[in-house]
Amino acid sequence: MHSKRRKSLYCWLGLSPFLIVVLFPYATMLSVALKQKDEIFTFQATWWPSSLYLNNFIELFTERGFGRALFNSIYISVGATLLSIAVAIPAAYALSRLRMPGKNIFRTYLLITQMISPIVLIVGLFRLFAALGMINDLHALIIAHSAFYMAFAVWMLQSYFDTIPRDLEEAAWLDGASHVHAFIRIFLPLCVPGIAVTALFTFVNSWNEFAMSLTMLRQGAMQTAPVKIAFLTGTLYETEWNIIMAATLIATVPVAIIFAAIQNYLLRGLALGGVK
Amino acid sequence: MTAVTTGLRPRTRLWRRSAALTGLLLAAPSFFLSAFVIGYPIFDVIRMSISDVNRFGKIRGFAGLDNFLTAFADPIFIQSTWQTLIWTVTVVGGAVLVAVPIAVILNEDFHGRAIARTIVLLPWAVSLAMTALVWRFVVNGDFGTLNLALTSLGLPFKNHPWLADGTSAFAIVILVGILVSVPFTVTIIIGGLTSISDELYEAAAIDGARPFQRFRYITLPLLSPFLQIAVVLNVIYVFNSFPIIWIMTNGGPANGTDILITYVYKQAFAFGKMDVAAAGSVMMFAMLLGFSILYLHMTRSGRSSHAQ
Repeated sequence: MHSKRRKSLYCWLGLSPFLIVVLFPYATMLSVALKQKDEIFTFQATWWPSSLYLNNFIELFTERGFGRALFNSIYISVGATLLSIAVAIPAAYALSRLRMPGKNIFRTYLLITQMISPIVLIVGLFRLFAALGMINDLHALIIAHSAFYMAFAVWMLQSYFDTIPRDLEEAAWLDGASHVHAFIRIFLPLCVPGIAVTALFTFVNSWNEFAMSLTMLRQGAMQTAPVKIAFLTGTLYETEWNIIMAATLIATVPVAIIFAAIQNYLLRGLALGGVK
Repeated sequence: MTAVTTGLRPRTRLWRRSAALTGLLLAAPSFFLSAFVIGYPIFDVIRMSISDVNRFGKIRGFAGLDNFLTAFADPIFIQSTWQTLIWTVTVVGGAVLVAVPIAVILNEDFHGRAIARTIVLLPWAVSLAMTALVWRFVVNGDFGTLNLALTSLGLPFKNHPWLADGTSAFAIVILVGILVSVPFTVTIIIGGLTSISDELYEAAAIDGARPFQRFRYITLPLLSPFLQIAVVLNVIYVFNSFPIIWIMTNGGPANGTDILITYVYKQAFAFGKMDVAAAGSVMMFAMLLGFSILYLHMTRSGRSSHAQ
């Protein structure tokens, strides 16, 4: 016991430089978000705000239209998650369970789509959605995000589907259930945890995406939260960091909590499927 | 066809064929979604790169290699290419160097490991744009918290403007790049570490191997396929990384932190040169493709020489 305690100390000491660098920005966010504007631009900067000042958060929603940006982000992220899961489940089921021609070609194809970054294609993507009349349309981002995050969802789901024994479905078929019935009643309920983790991961990715949203949503009212926040720095004569940090806290903390909750599953999923 | 009446075999063949058809039908939506959103823009970017395009995106005619030549004649393009190389090599190299010891520690059994893992992976959960924005404030010369922390440690950094000159700004964005690349790299390396069986270490310990020797002669060789995956995927991500530089420096000061992706973005959306931007994108494709082929070639020749 004693030696484990000493080992823990060394482990934490070894990690501490990196942990400090990771946590430093959060301390900054919190410190600045709770300050009044004048307090930031003093000659002698301080860590602790002189009093807890929550008006930054209120001002964000009442005067800066941040509520609308949050709504846009949620709309896009939920839509992209639903669409990519909806197309990924059948594809992953086919890869996991069915003999079909061109399976390896399809796998390679998915891999290639992951090697191409949306930002290299940004000019083409902009023109594609402009031709469809979908610039400033949240649905354009739903389609674009789900196309880019789908391959990862297929891998995660397939690696999860592979762990579900076939016997269960086969037993249901023998009992006279149709394939569709067995899939919906027997197979899907068993896969809920895997689907949930994949969905959350897709949600986080879509929530955090910047370049495509920046390019295709060009009206202030259509911007997503990260883009809105980035614009708060550029449009004003004097950058109001207190407002920006308050917005950053709202946009990052809930997502970070979701991510922390699923990271263990993610580690396992990556080890099983994506990397292999 | 005559076999229809003779029992099991044709039924299984029919079932197989219908399974194949079902499989294709099930995979079709995902195929068409990405073919539409990813495939068409690829075609369009390639077409634009060899066309004369006006600032509203209308194609006026065939331009041959003019757009590529325009890019090559632009000193900022050449500078951005070099900076992309430096950016990619230092960020990926730095991330792997930092991630290996962290992953080794996180793979040990110690008190509070779950908390430590969560903190290490935290930068992955946060939008790159937000991370970049907060760091832009942290390194702000006049009221940033980095100078506040450094001066309170007695170091002479009061009002030091970190992002004001090209070299120091580039160093800062590279460090932030490393920070955000570590969590993913750690994840892959932990996956590798858990695949190494404890018996190997026990056997080595019996033979009297010291911890560093165990790391050098067991961990590192068995980890190398995972390190390769981490390097390849990171090269792709980092090469294409946009928000950190865009938000922290916008490629400045004086293009000192511009990489190809910010160069392309500016050509398209600030200067209205869609065709030159497309040519830049095509060259970025070519570089990544060249890198992938080189990687495949190296691993293949590495494996075959190993087999001999």
